[in-house]
Amino acid sequence: MEKILNAEKSGSFPRFGRRRSKLETSSFKLENFKPKEADENQITRSNLEHGVKRDHMLEQVDQFIENLASARDKSITPEIPDLVEQFLKMVDYRIGTYEMREASVMFGQNQEEDSMFFEAVNRLSKIVSNLDEFILDSETNGCFNRAGSILHHAMSLLENEFVALLDVWKRSCNVNIMDSKTPKIMDSKTPKTPKQSVFDSNPPEMEIEFPYFTSESISVMNRVATAMIFAGYQPECCVAYTSLRLKALDAEFCNQGYENINMEEFQRMEWASQEREIENWIHIVNYCTANLFPVERQLCNSIFEHASTAQRLFGDLATSLTIKLLNFPNALLLIKQYSTEKLFKFLDIYETLCELISGIGNDLSAKDLIPDTSITQRRIGEAAVSIFCELENSIKSDNGRIPVANGAVHPLTRYTMNYLKYACEYKDTLEQVFRQHNETEGSTEQEPKNATEGNGESISTSHFATQLRLVMDLLDANIDMKSNLYKEPSLRYIFLMNNGRYMLQKVKSSTDIFKVTGDDWSRKRSSDLRQYHKNYQRETWSKVLQCMSHEGLQVNGKVSKSILKERFKSFNAMFDEIHKTQCGWMVSDEQLKSELRVSISAVVIPAYRSFLGRFSSHLDTGKQQQKYIKYQAEEIEGLIDELFEGTVTSMGRRRHIHLSHGK
Amino acid sequence: MPATDYHASFLGRLSIRRNQVIAMDGNHEQELEDLELFSKHVSECFTELLSPPDDVPFDTLLSIPWLRKLLDVFLCCEAEFKAIIMMGNDSFQISKPPLDRLIPDLLDRSVKALDICNAVTNGLDSVRHYQKLAEIAASALEQKPIGDGQARRAKKALNSLMLAMSIDDKDCSAVKTTERSWSFSRRGVNKDRSPGHFRQVAKSWSAAKQIQTMACNLVPPRGAEASGLASPVYIMSVIMVFVMWALVAAIPCQDRNGLLATHFPVPKQLNWDQSIIGLHEKIGEEWKKKEKKGAAGLLAEMQKMEKLGHNLMEFTESFQFHGETDEKAAAHAAELAETCRRMEEGLLPLQVKIREVFHRIVRTRTEFLHALDQGGKSSAPLV
Repeated sequence: MEKILNAEKSGSFPRFGRRRSKLETSSFKLENFKPKEADENQITRSNLEHGVKRDHMLEQVDQFIENLASARDKSITPEIPDLVEQFLKMVDYRIGTYEMREASVMFGQNQEEDSMFFEAVNRLSKIVSNLDEFILDSETNGCFNRAGSILHHAMSLLENEFVALLDVWKRSCNVNIMDSKTPKIMDSKTPKTPKQSVFDSNPPEMEIEFPYFTSESISVMNRVATAMIFAGYQPECCVAYTSLRLKALDAEFCNQGYENINMEEFQRMEWASQEREIENWIHIVNYCTANLFPVERQLCNSIFEHASTAQRLFGDLATSLTIKLLNFPNALLLIKQYSTEKLFKFLDIYETLCELISGIGNDLSAKDLIPDTSITQRRIGEAAVSIFCELENSIKSDNGRIPVANGAVHPLTRYTMNYLKYACEYKDTLEQVFRQHNETEGSTEQEPKNATEGNGESISTSHFATQLRLVMDLLDANIDMKSNLYKEPSLRYIFLMNNGRYMLQKVKSSTDIFKVTGDDWSRKRSSDLRQYHKNYQRETWSKVLQCMSHEGLQVNGKVSKSILKERFKSFNAMFDEIHKTQCGWMVSDEQLKSELRVSISAVVIPAYRSFLGRFSSHLDTGKQQQKYIKYQAEEIEGLIDELFEGTVTSMGRRRHIHLSHGK
Repeated sequence: MPATDYHASFLGRLSIRRNQVIAMDGNHEQELEDLELFSKHVSECFTELLSPPDDVPFDTLLSIPWLRKLLDVFLCCEAEFKAIIMMGNDSFQISKPPLDRLIPDLLDRSVKALDICNAVTNGLDSVRHYQKLAEIAASALEQKPIGDGQARRAKKALNSLMLAMSIDDKDCSAVKTTERSWSFSRRGVNKDRSPGHFRQVAKSWSAAKQIQTMACNLVPPRGAEASGLASPVYIMSVIMVFVMWALVAAIPCQDRNGLLATHFPVPKQLNWDQSIIGLHEKIGEEWKKKEKKGAAGLLAEMQKMEKLGHNLMEFTESFQFHGETDEKAAAHAAELAETCRRMEEGLLPLQVKIREVFHRIVRTRTEFLHALDQGGKSSAPLV
């Protein structure tokens, strides 16, 4: 196949009647266009004589073209040999025979015949383009006109065939027709690929993959396009290609479930339906970047040999489709307010757009699209930031006056921590989003803290980590505030322990969030928890321990029975009271619960045992002992183990992500 | 004065004012002055579009460069409008009457404008298609002398051009095709497709109706409101409706039936919008002519293309090869080629500008929604 010599001219096409540069004309070389003897020899015997004659004629024509091309003085009208007229007639005749055939299967019935036809058309193109350089007299002008006319005829034929092959719609509707009319030669010559089998099978459903072309039809389209471009009919070819491919790609979008979006209606939709469409959109964009665009580019490259033509055509198509795709995220930006849960969908979209941009970035032809795409992406990022900040607002504004019963984990803590844990699965994307946001804002106060420390801990300089810690600090402050709602200091500490423990456990259970918060946070949190624990011990049990103090029992060197009785009495009362109330308190974390019990036992039991051992003998055995020594040490231990169960039986902790914001 | 210089100085003045406003809250006189400045500037911008001063190069009404200028004016006015509304205690003003009612109305209108922008972007694909076909015809007929082949080539391209234009126009007037609706439910491939090249939003969607709904609740502020912030909201709304209306009139869009009926309720005593009314009337007259003739749109380049196309079509139909050059046809072909060249130059920047308008509308909407939300929060009593 000849190379395209003048295919691309800054988006325009070769114009006859204009003087061509020396370079272009001189590159027509005779040896490139020798008739292929092998092909000619395969012609059947009855045609042999005819073939020899034709060989002669073609040689003469080639010689004529060569002469035209090499002539220096284009003002001298060239002499046109009679053979050229004969050649024109032959081409005209051949066009006539091809015209009789069914569109879309015009070529491929006889390879040799096709080759001869394309070679003849190329010769004709050369005659026309070369003659065009000359000043012609009326006689040669007539010949030139005829040649031009026949060339146009040939080009119309080729264009029609190109359109017929390219029009997936027509073909898909006519699979039946094609099926019966597909020439045998195609079946016998090529092994059946799965793609092709659709044309032979019944019912004629389109099962082959996008873009639904057989390799045969692609190679015919390539041949046709090359011949058209060689003859200066590139615009026709490209116009047909662009409009039919746009149509086909639109249909493929529809096939994949994406249709043009109406902004106005979309923003009125329910979130549930919007969410479905987000999923669908992500599916489509991924399909485009992974599948549709590469396949389409491949198709374009295999039809158009000239790289810049192919690039431009594909670029136009990709631009049109991408603008359509971008309408969707833009429509999402119109919606008034997003609840915090929607963050993750936005991040999904953001990530998808990242991939789309990197897909475009690799493709020079669609570079124009990057600004449009990144504006959209940036806005989606901004939306994600503001949704995330909604979380901060909702924490700040959560100032209910009713404390959670039994000091249990506050729903806000659960919600926030689960949210953050889930958000950390997107930590890289969130990092990017917040960095972009802070760059746009240009504010210094948003700069990550600890940036100067720089002791190798990359977390400390992260924008997202800063944001995340801000949320955690807000949560801390809020929980602290809520803890003050408890009248009883012990319960307050239980509440603080419960919530703190919950946060710590959440952080420790996920490496993602642990990495973002950092070691320091966990250490600080653990030490806070220890402090709460100590405070609880002090608040609840120090008075109890005072009862068991060995001090102050003796009056005049003798153990006072009444004081002892009083001590036992008050211990029993205190312990019963604590047992009664604190059994109802709720510590849902098993470990924390057992830590608490163990530490209480460790303080109370030895003290009680020793108190009992030292002073029980001072009470009269029998009635008095029974009255004042209510519990044995073992019993106390058993009772301590009943603390913090909550009045309701504790429900097993939920494993799955639970974001309901129960108040 | 060039719009941009003015624009810059206007915003500069506002930003100085902004600082002052914080110092002396609610200075009504200065607010009035700003509003007057704004309406004066709007008036100047549109006057320039209607009849540019002598030192400014003249762009034909509804030509590509003119549309680009129109969109520039839109962007410029929009920025100033936002500056006025958001000035000082932004969220404070915006969540109080009458803005708390007028701004959401404006935002609804702006969403509708986005669909227009998308439809027009699609329409530009059609225009580009016409341009490609016209280029083929022009370059075939630029040959000297024209041969039978080239004449036929041109005729073929012109035929496709006229057909494409009339199909798109029919698409505009009556949608019979089973086009998709806007939703993207999964469904089988639709095989009964229209012969039109580029489809638009949804089958029932109508650019003309869209414009009409944008204009329908557009009421000039009355009484005390007329001197307050309600008036720039109204001005901005009129600008938005007008700009979208002009785009739809110029560029092929789905269903433009009854576009002319778009009514701008503008009281006579206002002077800022006399030029808008003038433009509206002028374009309206063009539209009336068009409806009789049937054309794809009022875009000046396209009208020219159509006219030259008709002439050249006649020429190619009666063409016989003499070996002579037809000067008249050659001149027409050269003019067509020139028109195509200008389209080649201008269409992409126009498209980029439309996208810019699109993104600007989205951004402003987000900002206003945010301000409304903040305002709503700050005015709500704390529990």
